[in-house]
Amino acid sequence: MSLRIALAAALLAAAGAASAVEPGATAPDFSLTPFAGTHSVSLADYRGKVVLVDFWASWCSPCRQSLPLYNGLQADFPVSEFAILAVGLDENSDDARAFLREHPVKYTALQDPRGDVAQAFGLKGMPSSYLIDRAGIVRYRHIGFEPEDINALKREITALIAKPAAAH
Amino acid sequence: MRSNAKSRRSSPSQPLRTKRALRWLLALIALVCLGGCAMQAVQPWQRGRLARWDMRWDPDPLQAAMNQHAYFSKEGTSGEIGAAGGGCGCN
Repeated sequence: MSLRIALAAALLAAAGAASAVEPGATAPDFSLTPFAGTHSVSLADYRGKVVLVDFWASWCSPCRQSLPLYNGLQADFPVSEFAILAVGLDENSDDARAFLREHPVKYTALQDPRGDVAQAFGLKGMPSSYLIDRAGIVRYRHIGFEPEDINALKREITALIAKPAAAH
Repeated sequence: MRSNAKSRRSSPSQPLRTKRALRWLLALIALVCLGGCAMQAVQPWQRGRLARWDMRWDPDPLQAAMNQHAYFSKEGTSGEIGAAGGGCGCN
């Protein structure tokens, strides 16, 4: 009997090992190399702005819709207030580069071939996006992507930009 | 008499000790095996290879549709793929 309890406890411990970042939690900081350029970009550089961290990959079919649509999203808000960091999770960066040639982006695309940042965020699905406020706290999380999801994102970004930085 | 009982309690017989040791060994092996399960979980961002076209159950949808059509035409009387058969074989 005690053996069974021990096994159950071990199973639970294994299941809970990867904890996910939920809204309300501080976003884990990261530093990654962009596809365009050599200087690494970190989330901390964007403190004071509203940031959309989006996880994508060339093999993720909803990403074929989301990445081009994010170009419009970035254009809707001033660069001084809002930034998009698109974290590419392709193991082979050539796949990601080919994808970016096919779907050019007007925001920062970063490479995370080992998935370290995805691990830190505890991704539950692909694609996943996290909206982070000026103080670095996750305020909104979205898993999956449909073109109409962009409207909800716009609403959330507008609300977060309207909040003064000091309020947090 | 008393000292006898005491010595029996403090040092169990050889087969009993072996049995206990075996039980612990089994528990240890089970725990190690469980750890192996935890390591193998494929994370959402690690599905690049699984998402490849040639990793599909049916890589060619047209070929799969034709195979299925031939199959359910032949097996119509026996209920084909899951559904109960009407017996007419008229697909």
